[in-house]
Amino acid sequence: MSNGLVIKDLRVSIGDKEILKGINLTVETGVVHAIMGPNGSGKSTLAHVISGRPGYEVTGGSISFDGHDVLDLEPEERAALGLFLAFQYPVEIPGVTNVNFLKTAVNSLRKARGEKDLDPMAFLKLLREKAKTLDLPEDMLKRQLNVGFSGGEKKRNEMLQMAVLAPKLAILDETDSGLDIDAIRIVAAGVNAQRAPDRSFLVITHYQRLLDYIVPDVVHVLAHGRIVETGDADLARRLEKTGYAEYTTAA
Amino acid sequence: MIHIGKNTRSTIVSKGIAAGRSDNTYRGLVRVLAGAEGARNYSQCDSLLIGDKCGAHTVPYIESRTPFSTLEHEATTARISDDQLFLCRQRGLSSEEAVALIVNGFCKEVLQNLPMEFAVEAQKLVGISLEGSVG
Repeated sequence: MSNGLVIKDLRVSIGDKEILKGINLTVETGVVHAIMGPNGSGKSTLAHVISGRPGYEVTGGSISFDGHDVLDLEPEERAALGLFLAFQYPVEIPGVTNVNFLKTAVNSLRKARGEKDLDPMAFLKLLREKAKTLDLPEDMLKRQLNVGFSGGEKKRNEMLQMAVLAPKLAILDETDSGLDIDAIRIVAAGVNAQRAPDRSFLVITHYQRLLDYIVPDVVHVLAHGRIVETGDADLARRLEKTGYAEYTTAA
Repeated sequence: MIHIGKNTRSTIVSKGIAAGRSDNTYRGLVRVLAGAEGARNYSQCDSLLIGDKCGAHTVPYIESRTPFSTLEHEATTARISDDQLFLCRQRGLSSEEAVALIVNGFCKEVLQNLPMEFAVEAQKLVGISLEGSVG
């Protein structure tokens, strides 16, 4: 079954505080959705809950992906279904090279899907190809994962992981934050190159700028834990002028 | 480590891993005898903690009988963070694979200096002995 991501009346708390207050969202296969919203509206929480990060309590509602009930699955099982999260703050893993990390990830995913390990030479070829399209120097592949990477390098490295792991749904959690204009363009080009009929994106961002480069099919506004407005790319442009004031005061 | 001759050099690299309720202690003596002028030692002790009920302790002993020696000691302690684990699992690794990957990264500096056959064994051993340490 491939009907994409379906979220119904999702409620999530951290401790006593309710962060998401009934989210309804459907991301069909092959479509690019953007979620915008002010700080603290629950955007990152939504991204984390979809991908299964511990520490959140789901108090109601459901998330399904291609017909699978996602909330019952471990993070790695969700990854095997083709869910990918590009982190807002990618963490460092000292001593583990980029190549080694990605090879382990690729082979774990293949194992979970009942496929054989990828031949090391074929893997390296794939990796070099993808790194080139993202304008990443080859020596970055041999460096330790995110150790000593600049902000832009970390985010580009997330895009590299996305390109290599080829997910069905990629969630970009404020991938544009902390990037200069050139880096945003490179990241956006990386995403655009991967837009495909069998792949959808959920792009979370504060700013419209990223959406100038990654033109979304649907734009949602998240405020106070609810989706308060849905529209097309024009909605994002309007927000750039008016800001989020109308949503933050209304509630 | 005992320095006897002039201008002798040594390096100690210790990597300790503590999981569950275990504690890990490094004790090491570096002794420089009176005649060992210009001796140099560098000791590095890194500890990795898995879980929140384990500990790491570093007790370096240094005895120098000559004022003309240089002895350095450095110690670090790190914990496998939830963020690191989640990153690995989001990319498809099971939590055990994730811990093994992170731990092997931590020990790499030592393991890569071992003879090939032993390095492979050691790597597997690390994987086995950590089974079930996160959960």
